[in-house]
Parts: sequence; structure tokens; C-alpha cells
Amino acid sequence: MLQNGWDTFEIGTILRPFEGSISDASAILPEDRLYSQSNSFSVSVADWRIEKPLFNKDLCIDCQFCWIYCPDMSIISRDKKMVAVDYDHCKGCGICVQVCPTTPKALLMFPEQKDEEEALLEWPKKEKKEKEN
Amino acid sequence: MADIFELRDIEVWDGNMAASHALRQAQVDVVAAYPITPSTPIVENYASFMANGYIDGEFVMAESEHGAMSCCIGASAAGGRVATATSSQGFALMLETLYSASGMRLPIVLNVVNRAIGAPLNVNGDHSDMYMGRDSGWIQIDCYNPQDVYDMNLVAFRVCEDHGIRLPAMVHQDGFMTSHTAQRVKTLSDDVAYDFIGEFKPMNDMLDLDHPVTHGVQTEEDWHFEHKARQHHALMSAVLPKIQEAFDGLKALTGRQYNLVESYTMDDAEIAIVCMGTSVETAQEVSNELRAQGIKAGVVGIRVFRPFPLEQIADALKGCKAIATLDRSSPNGTVGALYNELAGALFNTSTHAVLTNYIYGLGGRDLTKSSIHTIYRDLQANAQAGSPTTPLQQFIGLRGPKLSFF
Amino acid sequence: MFQAKTKNLKNFSTSAERFEGANLLCPGCAHSIIVREVLNATNDHLILGASTGCLEVCTAVYPHTSWDASWIHIGFENGSSAVAGAEAMYKVLKNKGRLKQPDRTPKFVAFGGDGATYDIGFQWISGCFERGHDMMYVCLDNEVYANTGGQRSSSTPIGASASTTPSGRISYGEKQNKKDMMAIMAAHGAPYVAQVAPNQWRDMVAKIQKGFATEGPVFINAMSACTTEWKFSPEDTIAISDLATDSLVFPLYEIIDGTKLNITYRPKNVIPVRDYLGAQGRFKHLFTKQYEYLINEWQARVDAKWELLQRREEACL
Ligand SMILES: Cc1ncc(C[n+]2csc(CCOP(=O)(O)OP(=O)(O)O)c2C)c(N)n1
Ligand code: SF4
Ligand code: SF4
Ligand code: SF4
Ligand SMILES: [Mg+2]
Repeated sequence: MLQNGWDTFEIGTILRPFEGSISDASAILPEDRLYSQSNSFSVSVADWRIEKPLFNKDLCIDCQFCWIYCPDMSIISRDKKMVAVDYDHCKGCGICVQVCPTTPKALLMFPEQKDEEEALLEWPKKEKKEKEN
Repeated sequence: MADIFELRDIEVWDGNMAASHALRQAQVDVVAAYPITPSTPIVENYASFMANGYIDGEFVMAESEHGAMSCCIGASAAGGRVATATSSQGFALMLETLYSASGMRLPIVLNVVNRAIGAPLNVNGDHSDMYMGRDSGWIQIDCYNPQDVYDMNLVAFRVCEDHGIRLPAMVHQDGFMTSHTAQRVKTLSDDVAYDFIGEFKPMNDMLDLDHPVTHGVQTEEDWHFEHKARQHHALMSAVLPKIQEAFDGLKALTGRQYNLVESYTMDDAEIAIVCMGTSVETAQEVSNELRAQGIKAGVVGIRVFRPFPLEQIADALKGCKAIATLDRSSPNGTVGALYNELAGALFNTSTHAVLTNYIYGLGGRDLTKSSIHTIYRDLQANAQAGSPTTPLQQFIGLRGPKLSFF
Repeated sequence: MFQAKTKNLKNFSTSAERFEGANLLCPGCAHSIIVREVLNATNDHLILGASTGCLEVCTAVYPHTSWDASWIHIGFENGSSAVAGAEAMYKVLKNKGRLKQPDRTPKFVAFGGDGATYDIGFQWISGCFERGHDMMYVCLDNEVYANTGGQRSSSTPIGASASTTPSGRISYGEKQNKKDMMAIMAAHGAPYVAQVAPNQWRDMVAKIQKGFATEGPVFINAMSACTTEWKFSPEDTIAISDLATDSLVFPLYEIIDGTKLNITYRPKNVIPVRDYLGAQGRFKHLFTKQYEYLINEWQARVDAKWELLQRREEACL
């Protein structure tokens, strides 16, 4: 797009978030939308991150705290379940980890380059009640 | 449905009433406005039409001119016909948003009843506000009398809303001299006037819920230049032909002929005055008197100030030996704007005309016929000498020692 | 009133977002959390606007937009009027039968920072509210001109170090108390005025829904903890917000029809103001013997305000 000359844009510097028409965005999930190239959804901010949140499904209680407080729409929840982190749009702020209520947390920050499987192996284990007794 | 307003074929209207009726007949969807002398009656008349059932649209009495134009911009982006009016200090307060409206390519019609800008505060007509707007990216059409005001409003809507244009337009009239001076105005019936303008056709309208649109984005150094160039291109290439087309349409409908440049006895003129607003008609009267004496005098009235019809003006003046440009705004540190424009138009042409500049009429000071006679006498001397016999810039109608520069 | 989808977080999380990622807001920015909660609180169609400020310069920078509903920005002071103009146009086109989708009724929302709301845009907002446009105005109150690098606004609280009121050898920073915008907007007789904080999502979403169900102008003052200018680390946005609401520095209440006041959140354990201040870099300089009195005065002010709110609430009962 940066190659475009002055005579190639829409007048008035307008932008369209979608290709064609969309009847009701509030009823259509991202995967079913026809985003335009002008939608920031089409862009990645993955390179903003130094650390990334990794998700351990086994520890998750689907409370959705991470979903409500993620500033960047990067907690993908479907059918009331936390599914994954959207690494194209996650900026690595760490809020989701802070608000995750489980012990150990179902979300933890790791260096950006960290291998996910490795991280899962290193994940702090649930303290077994028996041990304490 | 709004009631039809039965008009006589000829009404006696001042410029403000002419503008109000044109807005009413255009069936403007949203008028957002704020009162300021001398444009206030436009808004008051409109409010009275509204109160009496002649208007279907919304009338937003804003808290300021800046707020008024901001509402106009929001309303226009939402997708409908929008107009307002202002003058002077109000125009100055609006200025920031004028650039927004044109940059966002929103076809808003703004009636500017020209008035001086303080300090010192002054409510009378000069062209300071019109000149302040000249880089704002709007179409600027100038009127000389109430009939013009009526006709040019209709033209403005038709031109600016065209999808090949989509630029806002100002219709200028002189404060008090036009706005408050009742004259005969030939009218069109409501439906004929509306048909001349045509239905509003939305474009990039926010209220089209199936097609969300983002208006008013930021562009930095990698994009801004291209977008401004595109805007300038539209103003430069599409507007004048469209205005001409509207003028032709109006002539077919009414017999009244308007031109991008209003040349008056210019065919064989050797000396010419170039001016705007009510001064055009005064100068025409004086030129008639001179013609009666066998002096080849003419007048060029600026009808379209932006985009400036550079070529048409150069053409109108091509046979002239001496030209005076009259500026009704303090140039504050240089020659008058019209002098600059004319110099730009004539330079690189084959003209050898002597070009001089007069500053006049600030704050509503009358331009007398005797002053115009003096100017023509200067021009005759310049024409004869083939070079300026006076300073390039002179103040006329001013008390005290003669003031001139360059 | 409370829609099924916001009954609990699980239901709420089925919302299809209409605000998009890869915007340029800082990691951890609360503006974004607030916008999400506002937009997700309704399934209605939306017509949005914003004033110049962080939210605007980070979400509509050519060639990208983060807005899935129609959106407009003009300038710093006039986001309210831009949306009011669109609302006026909606009314006309509806009356004249020219709406393209006549079966749908969009809601109109204008966002603005505290600079755009408390300071430069105040007149425009006042005009919109006095005229009674059917719109919601949401102030993203981060108590500073964040977009331009942290200058003070009339929302900046006393003692905060801002770039135009920096703390220094002989100054503790901002000298004025925060303007009481809630009272001012309530004094307009607006049908609904509410203070919200994104950490208290349930309270916030309920108020937004109440606002959407209200005819006429609605003012929402939303606390927006700013990691960059308040100087705390990005992951703590919600924790800091909790400190603000639980210390009652930022009480959550609503005012209906300019008169009836309801406190909507009463912290179980009220924490000292000192804890809230101490968690942010902008107040760091206050933690010396010299300025101990300022912290005490602050606590007294918060106590008095809470007392006042409770009295006003009782007076309405
Ligand atoms: C008329 C005008 N004056 C000043 C500015 C510069 N300016 C842009 S945004 C801004 C501060 C925004 O502060 P606020 O409204 O609190 O929003 P925030 O960035 O904090 O979210 C300033 C001073 C401007 N754009 N326009
Ligand atoms: S790190 Fe921040 S941006 Fe990324 S998913 Fe967690 S809350 Fe969202
Ligand atoms: S906050 Fe933690 S437990 Fe709750 S849904 Fe997110 S990952 Fe699962
Ligand atoms: S400076 Fe503050 S308000 Fe602005 S984007 Fe960053 S965190 Fe958000
Ligand atoms: Mg701010």
C-alpha cells in the first residue's frame, strides 16, 4: 500500500474495517468476518513483546477474568471457554497473568522465544493438599 | 412533510432572507448554527420557517460557531444535506473545523456574511473573514447582491455534493451592504429550486450500518502529502467545470447568466478594476460613466474565489494596459491577496499591463464612486506611461496623510 | 435491565468484539479495557466518535482502523459535537424515511480523554448535554494529557507530578484539586451520570447498559489507569484500579436526573489512600516527611467526599 500514489485512495481519508457489507458485527465472530486490509486486525504487534503469556489449559477454570481485562482482545474465548492467546494481537502486557485466579496460574509470562511444550513441562505444579497434611 | 412556502415570482429580500429561503428550498437535513452579526438573520429566519412548519430537518442551536461546524461535520459524515451560516469572529472560531470539513471531503454549505475581524471589534462588512478562509480547502463563491445570494446557494449545493467533488462550499456576501439591503429577487418555486439542486446522494455515510466507515483518521508523513494532493486536485480540476455546468443549468432555467469571472465591458477595455462583493456593481456604474466619456474602462468581478480561475482571469484581462486590484482586507505585511492572485495569473502571460493594488473599505467604510474615479484616473496614467505612476499599494478612503507602500 | 449476555463473565465472554487489536495503545492501557466493556455491553448498532487523544491517535492511524462500527474524529475539543451532529442527522433521516436500514436503531457514543472533557472540550459537551442529544459521552479519565506526554489537566489530582507541573526541589507537583466533573454534569440535569472503573466490570457494564437504555445525554466518567503516565508496570493496570476503587479515591456512583444519587460499590475492606498513592510513580515524591501532610489531607478529603456521597444518597432515599 505504501507504493500507492495520491490518485489511488478513497477520498476523505476514510477507511473501511470490512470488505463489502456486514449486517451486524456484534453477532459475527472474528473468524467469520471479512476483515479488510485496513482493519488493524489484519496487522500483527507480536514484535512488541519481550515476554508472552502461555496458557495451561489443565489449570484453567474458565472464569474469564483474563478475557474481560485483556486490553487487546487477545484472549480468545469461545463457548464460554478460554481457548487460546491471540499472539498476533497480544502486546505482552501481562494483565491476564496478574488477574488469573488459579494456583498455580493457568497463564504465565515466558520469554518470547520460549517453546510452549517446554514451558508446560516446567509449569509450577499444583500443590497437593495431602503433602501439607 | 414541510409546508410549501408560496413565493411571489419577485420578492423583496435582503441577502440574509435570500440565503434563508435557499436553505429552506434545499430541504437541508441538518442546520447547526450560532448567531453573529450580520449573518444572524439567516439563522433567525430559518428558525422562524421551522416554527411555522416549513422545515422538516433538524435545527441545532449550537453553543458556539466551533460547535456548530463540528455538528455540521458529524451530521454530514452521517450522510445528509448540511448547511450553516456565520461571520467574522464566528468564522475565525470555526477555522480549525473548516480544514477538517474539507479534508474529510464533506459537502457542507456555509453562508459567510463577510465582516471585519477584530481587534478593534467591528460589525461591518469587509473581506477579512473571506480571506482568512482562502487556504482552508473550501469552494468560495462570491455574491454581489441578494439575487446572487439566492442563486449561488442553489449552485453551491449542486456543485459541492456531486460525488466527483465532495468539497464544502462557502457562499459569500457583504455584511449589511448585501445582507441587510432589501432588493428585488427573482425566485423559483420550492419544487423547481429543489429539483435544480437534486436529491442528496449519500457517500461514505456513517449511518449506513451495513458498511461501517472510519472518518477523520490521522495521516503522518508517509500519507498526508498524498491525501492533501488528492484534495487539491479535486478542487483544481473538477470544481470549475462543475460550477460552469450549474451556471449553464441555472441560465436554462431562469435566463440569469453567471460566469466564473464576471467581465463587464472588458472586450476592448484598456483599464480595469478587479474586485469582489458589492464593490463590483459600484465599479460597474463608474465604468459606465467613463465609457460615456469614451474611456475604455472595464470591471472584472471575482465570482469564484476558490478555486481561483487563474486562466479565465488572465484571459479576461489580456488586452488591458493597466489593472487595479481592490482588496477589502488589511494585508498586514504584504500586498493584498487579490493583487497576489492577479500577479500570479498574469505573470508568464504576454501581458504588459501595469498592476497596482488598493486597500479600501475596511470595517465597512464606504467605497465611494469618487474613489473609484480616482482609481480609474490612476489607471489611465499608468496605461499611458506603461509603468506605475503611483506606489503599488495605496489606501483609499482613509483619513490622515496618504498611506502607500512599494 | 442486565442483559443475559452480561449476567456473568462466562456469558459476557461470548461477545463478538467491535474494537480491534494491533491498535497502538500501550501494552496494559486501560482505555482499551474501557472501550471493550462499553462496546460489548450492547448488541445494538453503534455510531462512535472520539476526541484527539491516546484513544484516537492509536486506533485510526492511516492506513488502519481498529473500529468495526462507524467512527468519527474531528479534533481535540469536539468529539461530543461530532457525535451530536450524527445523532441529529439520524433523527432527520428517520423522520424523512431515508435511513438505509430503518429497522435498526443505533446508539451514539463519544469517547474523550480528561483533557478533551474537563478542559478543552468542556463547552462543547455542555452544549450537547443542554440540548439533550440522545448520546453517551464516555470520559477516559487518566488524569493527564497522556497523548502529548503527560501534561497536567484539570483532572490531575493534587500532588501528582505531571510534565507541566513537575515535582521539584520546591514543588510537590500539581497544586489544584481534581475538578468534580460528575457534579458539573449532574448539574446539567442529565438523565444519567455515572462514574465507573473497568476493574469493577459488572458495575461498569450495568451502568453502560442503563445509559444505553436512557433517552437523552448520558455522561460516564471512566477511570483509566495509565501505565505510562501514572508510572506503574503494565501488568498492574487492574491491581492499581482496584486500589483506586477500594481506597475510595475513585468512588463508584451514579446520579439520576441530576438529583438521585446511588453509591453502587462499597468496598468490603477500605484501604488507605496512602496505599493507592504509593503504588504509582507519579506520587513517589510525596513519600517524604515534608509532604506527609499532603497524604493526610488527601485521606481526609476522600473521607469527606465519601461521607458526602452517603449523605446525598440517604437524602434521596
Ligand atoms: C486544539 C488542540 N490543542 C491541543 C492539541 C494537542 N493535544 C492533542 S491530544 C492532547 C491531550 C489529550 O489528553 P486527554 O484528552 O486527557 O486524552 P489522553 O491522551 O490522556 O487519553 C493534546 C494537548 C490538539 N490536538 N488540538
Ligand atoms: S499479555 Fe496482555 S495483551 Fe497479551 S493476552 Fe495477556 S492481557 Fe492480553
Ligand atoms: S483467568 Fe486463568 S483461569 Fe480464568 S479463564 Fe483465564 S486462564 Fe482460565
Ligand atoms: S499513555 Fe496511557 S492512556 Fe495513552 S496509550 Fe499509553 S497507557 Fe494508554
Ligand atoms: Mg487524559
